[in-house]
Amino acid sequence: MGKSGNVAPPQSLLLVVFFLMAHGLALAQDDRPNFLVIVADDMGYSDLGSYGGEINTPVLDDLAQQGIRYTDFYVSPTCSVTRSMLLSGTDNHIAGLGNMGELLAPNQVGQPGYEGVLNRRVATVASLLRDSGYHTYMAGKWHLGLEPDQIPHARGFERDFSLLVGGGDHFDDGWNIEWQIPKGPYTEDGRPVKKLPKDFYSTKNYTDKTIQFIEEGRDDGKPFFAYMAFTAPHGPLQVPDDWLRRYKNKYDEGWDVIRMRRLARMRELGILEEGISTADRLWFLPRASMLAPGARVVMGRKMELYASMVEYMDDQIGRVFDYLKEIGEYDNTVVIFFSDNGAEGNDLVGMVAGRPGTMGYLHAAANFAESGHNFIGRKGSFAEYGPAWAQVSMAPFRLYKGFVTEGGTRSPLIVSGPGVQGAGGLNTNAILHVMDIAPTLLQLAGIEHPATFKGRDIVPTQGKSWSKMLAGEVQSPRGAEDWLGFELFGNRAIRQGDWKISWHYRPFGIWDWQLFNLDADPGEQYDLSGKFPEKRAELIALWDEYVEMNGVILGNRSPYEGARKGLPDAVLEFDSYPPVRGLEAIPHQKLIELLSQ
Amino acid sequence: MKKVHGPARFLAFVACPVAISLICGLANAQDDGARAYWKGRAGTNVVSFQYLNMHLDASDALQFDPAHYIYPSADADADIFIANYARHMTLFNRPASLMVNVVGGSVEADFDTNLTPPEFLPPGVVPGTSFSQSASGYADPSVQLDVNLLGTPPLIAGFDLLDYEPTWTLDAAVMLGVPLGEYDSSKVVNLGLNRFFGRIAFPFKYHFRVFSPGYMSSLEVVPSVWLFAENDNFVGQKLENDPVWQIEAHWTHDFTRHFFGSIDLLYRNGFQSEINGADVGSDIEIGDIGVTLNFQVTDNLTLRSSFSSNVFGDSDINSSMVRLQFVYMWHQAMENMKKLGSE
Repeated sequence: MGKSGNVAPPQSLLLVVFFLMAHGLALAQDDRPNFLVIVADDMGYSDLGSYGGEINTPVLDDLAQQGIRYTDFYVSPTCSVTRSMLLSGTDNHIAGLGNMGELLAPNQVGQPGYEGVLNRRVATVASLLRDSGYHTYMAGKWHLGLEPDQIPHARGFERDFSLLVGGGDHFDDGWNIEWQIPKGPYTEDGRPVKKLPKDFYSTKNYTDKTIQFIEEGRDDGKPFFAYMAFTAPHGPLQVPDDWLRRYKNKYDEGWDVIRMRRLARMRELGILEEGISTADRLWFLPRASMLAPGARVVMGRKMELYASMVEYMDDQIGRVFDYLKEIGEYDNTVVIFFSDNGAEGNDLVGMVAGRPGTMGYLHAAANFAESGHNFIGRKGSFAEYGPAWAQVSMAPFRLYKGFVTEGGTRSPLIVSGPGVQGAGGLNTNAILHVMDIAPTLLQLAGIEHPATFKGRDIVPTQGKSWSKMLAGEVQSPRGAEDWLGFELFGNRAIRQGDWKISWHYRPFGIWDWQLFNLDADPGEQYDLSGKFPEKRAELIALWDEYVEMNGVILGNRSPYEGARKGLPDAVLEFDSYPPVRGLEAIPHQKLIELLSQ
Repeated sequence: MKKVHGPARFLAFVACPVAISLICGLANAQDDGARAYWKGRAGTNVVSFQYLNMHLDASDALQFDPAHYIYPSADADADIFIANYARHMTLFNRPASLMVNVVGGSVEADFDTNLTPPEFLPPGVVPGTSFSQSASGYADPSVQLDVNLLGTPPLIAGFDLLDYEPTWTLDAAVMLGVPLGEYDSSKVVNLGLNRFFGRIAFPFKYHFRVFSPGYMSSLEVVPSVWLFAENDNFVGQKLENDPVWQIEAHWTHDFTRHFFGSIDLLYRNGFQSEINGADVGSDIEIGDIGVTLNFQVTDNLTLRSSFSSNVFGDSDINSSMVRLQFVYMWHQAMENMKKLGSE
């Protein structure tokens, strides 16, 4: 090395120091908001107190008072699909989750948009925010790919503590729901987590990690994007021991009474209008009052666990808020809270355990067979609360997770933070979608969504930014002509304005399109196809457009194709036969007015 | 302690059968057994049949101790059958159970008088010889009422039981034995006691782990006192006994949903005999340790076996007990539901 070489380091060093100082100064002056996106897993529409629920959720209710609640926010019927749209800002059929990776139909395998993981046609909002100077953190469920180039660390999160699969034990046993990967694979900062701490409980540890990441990264003055993807209250319904009986006997009255109370409370809150039709109790479920008290206690215990999980999550979210207030960042943080899909009413254990003789059955027997009434909720148990309580969680809607009814796709949404106008308000006019979140965050951060990322072409976002809506300039990012499309497992729907068409396998649907008016009938009880055939045809045309635009490939197999064999046919006529009505006898004035037009 | 002299020396001899009759008398409830005070739904019926083989061997006592009531080298074997019926109910809005015991069997005792000072031998018995006595038939029946004081709500309906997750419980139990059993005042070995007797107990339980089949563990301690009325014809004499203070304890643990075991402890102290107003022999102090295995065969039927042996207390006594028990329980509502289910 020459003489000049000896001189160069100090000069370079000076340059570097100058750059760092300038950059640091710039970062210190970066007053862009932090983003905290909190996603519950399988939580229902009406579970939060601020949405009419009886579950104690003071933190989120308080958040609702500081921000705005939205009544018409849509997600996908299942989790990984929603997450792909959340992070990409585009439709799931483009982002790689045209179907859940675990349930791809034979004709979908290998097709673009059906990779079963978040594909490379999209850049995650985390990647784009990170490149623009944000810290990006994630704690919780990923479910968008297992390979090294698919995990959170490879998709834009500089720090992460992630469960890569769709669910599993909430405690340190860490077993996965699926036998193929018996232990839930976790990563921390991109590296496999070999062993979970002994006192691990998902919700608590995800919260710990979120706070830790923010704390360890806050000295440089950069804003952060934190994605808290809780696995609560996804099954198995499990809570720490001292939370097991927090709702002791609170649900022994059964689902009908609890649901009626929720509907009444929703009307009080303005979430539900008077005179509109709510969904009947599902036709294959018994009236709770017909059940023996002991049976109600057994069923009620599961709802107790669910409620405890939700409250525990609320409590932990409060820890994050307290921490942000402590470090002075709360007021500069946009908080978005929602659930990834409708409440879980399917028999997940049954799906996992399959039949005796299968690997799934063996896996379930080894890891989560305990089902004693006093044991459920603990490590080693796999309790789910089933369709009866899921329809309560999804009141006033019909069905639950997995379906493109409102019960499968409608989620509570609370947005709060700097620039959000109308604190404590309730927006019933906006039609919103989870794929709106990425463009919203990018716009709030002053970032243009690029056409290329890391040298590859990426698709544009389909979501619509909420920035004007949050600023109080408009009521909704969507106009009368805008529409939303949904498809999963062959169930499909289009919503435009108050109108919706949906197609479901029997007996959940009729294997044909049905037309509903959500303004009068959010419970999707009354097929108006005969009365408004033109509207139905219009929406079917939009469906065709949706298929074309997003490369939808309807699967040649579906998890629901055989459902008819296990359930009776639903009665869907307008003059519903009394036995299928719930206890509530809601007058249908709006529907009657509509029909008399 | 007041020593026995004169005619009372004979009565010292008969103190051995007193010990035997103690065994037989207590065969009404040799020990209550593990999980005996666990609560059932009101209306639950429990029928139990027990077979007990008890052996008492004092042959290790190489030196005669006049303070003791047992003859050296006295062996006793008893085959006892106990049938009991219990019904769970509520009393004053508290969980309770009423139990009736019927006891029977046979007892045989052998006495070797080689080491016995002549003054302690019964009339007609030649020193250096041995003799035997036996008895068979019914022993004294008894009835016991147990009421929970703390820790358990009334278990009336099925859902009460579903919500039942006890941590600790305290009961009070009262037992009364009625002298209806076989008794021959000319013999020193009898199955009946020829007197009323009773027990007051305060069963206490602490539940560990999860109150769910396969996960239950408990520590159970039952302090109690046995009380005996006067036997006015004990080989023609008046026999009185001090109370027996007893502590029974069990550490129970589920191995599977249908199989639990327990380590059992039974300690007794007291029973100083007094014949015609004079103390005879000394009091007893026996500590047994044992194990119990309990297997639930069906929803209704349970099999239980126990073994215990004395491991502390009076050093010159070896005793052991083997028990085999069949327990059948039913609740009419549950049985009716099974009928519906089977149709």
